Amino acid sequence: MVNQSPEYLFGQWLDNALTEDERSAFEALCVSDEDFAARVATATQLNVAAEQFSAPPMPAWDKNATFIAPDKPKWWQWQGLPAVSMAMSAAAMVMVLSGFSMQVEDDRVTMGFGQSVPKGPTEAEVAALVADRINDYQQANQAMFTQYVNALQQQQQESSTQLAQYLLKSSRQERREDFAELVQFINQQRDDDQRYYARQLTHLQREINAMDDGYTAVTE
Amino acid sequence: MFEKRDEQLIEQALKGNKKAWFALIKRYETGIYHYGIRMTGTPHDAADLMQDIFIAVFKSLSNFRGDGSFKAWLYRIAHFRCIEFYRRKRPDTPLEDSEELSCERPTPEHSLMSDITSQSLTHAMQRLPLAQRAVIELKFFGQFTFEEIAEQLGLSSNTVKSRLYSALSKLKLDLEVEHG
Repeated sequence: MVNQSPEYLFGQWLDNALTEDERSAFEALCVSDEDFAARVATATQLNVAAEQFSAPPMPAWDKNATFIAPDKPKWWQWQGLPAVSMAMSAAAMVMVLSGFSMQVEDDRVTMGFGQSVPKGPTEAEVAALVADRINDYQQANQAMFTQYVNALQQQQQESSTQLAQYLLKSSRQERREDFAELVQFINQQRDDDQRYYARQLTHLQREINAMDDGYTAVTE
Repeated sequence: MFEKRDEQLIEQALKGNKKAWFALIKRYETGIYHYGIRMTGTPHDAADLMQDIFIAVFKSLSNFRGDGSFKAWLYRIAHFRCIEFYRRKRPDTPLEDSEELSCERPTPEHSLMSDITSQSLTHAMQRLPLAQRAVIELKFFGQFTFEEIAEQLGLSSNTVKSRLYSALSKLKLDLEVEHG
């Protein structure tokens, strides 16, 4: 049975949802009802106007003002934080309850569950260890001192030898220089003596010559 | 290239992608601007309303759940912003079913419209109360069904139809007068 109500048919027509029977009834109503037909005509006119509607061109408007950049969430607002906190807490509880232990030795990390943490050495062991270390240290020092003393002694001997050699060498040199000076002095004395004797001889010769000249004159 | 769906653009815009938001605006700005012209009667007010609408849409973008079409959601916000627009203009006037919210005289901006029919129609629509104008706008220009309009305006389908019939009766007379 077709709904003949004008409002219903008009609504269906506007929604473009008329069935074949409703379309027939709608068209019949358009013919018989003048007011209905006028309403349909106005609606059609509006539909056409809507399709052909022209407006002024789009003005330049500030689109940037419509964009409000969302704030970047802070690291403590990260949604995974509660889950990570929960997981860390659970892990900590497991570690405590299971006797988790961790040991760092010689650049190695050892981890384990259900192990008691190994106890440290006793006081006596520590004392013995310290005594051993001190003994080793003393021996090492002793050896080093001995070596140092030997080195010093050897260095001292070398220095003494060098000094004696130097003294001997320097004495010889001085003596040699003294003798040279003595020889030079003697030579100079000899030269002086020779010159003296030469002069004496020359003087004597002159006297002899003079005596010869006098004798000649007397004889003549 | 394939155009991205509205939902994809919304998702990217919510992550701070400005380009996606501008693409979404570009898709709907003409329709919203024309809506603004028909609802306010002047290009200047229409531009203000358009900006107002898109700001409101962006602020509420995270509330869009994708139950219906983005277009329907957009026009619902547009309707509320339009009511707010008139409330700011005339704070003491009740909005729904008010006859006083019509613009009796064409503004100078009407002459900017190139088409006489569009000009007449815009002028005639300004004489309608805002509530009836909104129904005409959504039905004939937004191409929404009565059910969709009822949902957008928060009314019953029968009330929407009743307002439409009243608006059509008034428009019929006004358009006859306009066309002489």
